[in-house]
Amino acid sequence: MVELNEVFETHTMINSENLDVRTITMGISLLDCCDSDLDILCDKIYKKITESARDLVKVGDEIGLDFGIPIINKRVSVTPIAIIGSSACKTSDDFVRIAKTMDDAASKVGVNFIGGYSALVQKGMTAADQMLIKSIPQALAETECVCSSVSLASTKTGIDMDAVKLMGTVIKETAEATKHRDSIGCAKLVVFCNPADDNPFMAGAFHGVTETDRVINVGVSGPGVVKRAISKVKGENFEVLCETIKKTAFKVTRVGQLVAKEASERLNVPFGIVDLSLAPTPAVGDSIADIIQEMGMEYVGAPGTTAALAILNDQVKKGGVMASSYVGGLSGAFIPVSEDRSMAYAAEIGALTIEKLEAMTCVCSVGLDMVPVPGDTPAETISGIIADEMAIGMINQKTTAVRIIPVVGKKAGETVEFGGLLGNSPIMPVNRYGCKDFIDRGGRIPAPIHSFKN
Amino acid sequence: MNRVVVTLVGKDRTGIIAAVCNYFAENDINILDIKQTTVQEYINMMMIVDLEKCRKPFSEIVSGLDVVGEKVGCIIKAQHEEIFDVMHRV
Repeated sequence: MVELNEVFETHTMINSENLDVRTITMGISLLDCCDSDLDILCDKIYKKITESARDLVKVGDEIGLDFGIPIINKRVSVTPIAIIGSSACKTSDDFVRIAKTMDDAASKVGVNFIGGYSALVQKGMTAADQMLIKSIPQALAETECVCSSVSLASTKTGIDMDAVKLMGTVIKETAEATKHRDSIGCAKLVVFCNPADDNPFMAGAFHGVTETDRVINVGVSGPGVVKRAISKVKGENFEVLCETIKKTAFKVTRVGQLVAKEASERLNVPFGIVDLSLAPTPAVGDSIADIIQEMGMEYVGAPGTTAALAILNDQVKKGGVMASSYVGGLSGAFIPVSEDRSMAYAAEIGALTIEKLEAMTCVCSVGLDMVPVPGDTPAETISGIIADEMAIGMINQKTTAVRIIPVVGKKAGETVEFGGLLGNSPIMPVNRYGCKDFIDRGGRIPAPIHSFKN
Repeated sequence: MNRVVVTLVGKDRTGIIAAVCNYFAENDINILDIKQTTVQEYINMMMIVDLEKCRKPFSEIVSGLDVVGEKVGCIIKAQHEEIFDVMHRV
């Protein structure tokens, strides 16, 4: 029998500490839509998505009401489109048509984002991969809900530096194509090393080719809950701190597991995974930076921040793994700058730099996320930043990513306002020394050795 | 059994529990357990009820409780019991 104090603890988490289920994402395989005729392909894609995800939003809302827990986003991810469109698309414009079809299907079923406008090119690019990548600026400028991701590297294959170079240019073009809206297109574009096939979070969600036909993946959240729990053990040693985070993560993840199982049952779609990631929002008290600061840092970015983030990430996993039957996706802590109010403030006062963020990405999930940089940052420099991040992922056998926004017409220190969950942030200064000759070499960086670890 | 946890928070006054219980009786909702604490003039109440025989959809019950809550000046929430079980029991 539940106790009064347990009920009120749950209520406090939901009502005062922003506990929510961040997303129910339905992964849909489009492999059975493949066709050499573009019209037929687009028809099949539209039908498959709208039929598969027809009840997703309705069921998500019902579950939210039944358990009294907000379910913020309902989303769809699909098989990487570079594969699906490879025999039908002869030009980049053909790929843009598929993006528009995805956008139409997403608005028909009422989801707020659809991911999978993607290419997996960690070892090399096919002609179709190149066409899709070159179409990204136009595709993201002419659609609302479509998200794009490109896998550039992996521990097993090394880094495709030709693709890294190309993505530097594509990110710049995407910024330019959406310059009237503070280059927001780049907020829907992420590059990966070792991407997860079952990631429910945008912009990087896609439905991996080894996945089943349809699957339900759930992303939980609750930085506010963790922060509040830590505030109760102020001054205690690391053992107490770690146990507190672990127990809190357990409770948060159990909610995700419950919602995932319910959604899977009600939609008659297999349950895939729960992603344990702590995902912040710009709302007050829903911040990863606040957790770091509660742990003892004056501001996030101060010396000690990387260690604090390592503790947080590891304890969230330890607590979460026991709470869910299948854990997957990115599962860690996200550190997006603009989406986290306190992170953005730390950047504004100079406590947090891109270099420190890069160090932090060595110990947490994903990477340089939602980082606005000056619009005149050269494409090669962006490629250099990407290459650094890919190298961290490749060597450390973890997922890393870059979602960077060169905001056209803005300089370091100015503010950019994306609105909604994407938040706002000061433009962060970038190291002004170049790396053009390095990026221009072309080719691949070989896969790293996996033995002789010291 | 279709067990739902109903919680009520607000300033105490005569007739709060009566109003909630009447609403449940009208809708064929059986009360399984009631726990209550009063701190100074504020009331915290939790009921576990069974919706098995209730013919209305859950969403209607939730909005019905909102109306009752407004009348008695309290916030009343209803949630299926599983969310508390999974969070607080291994």
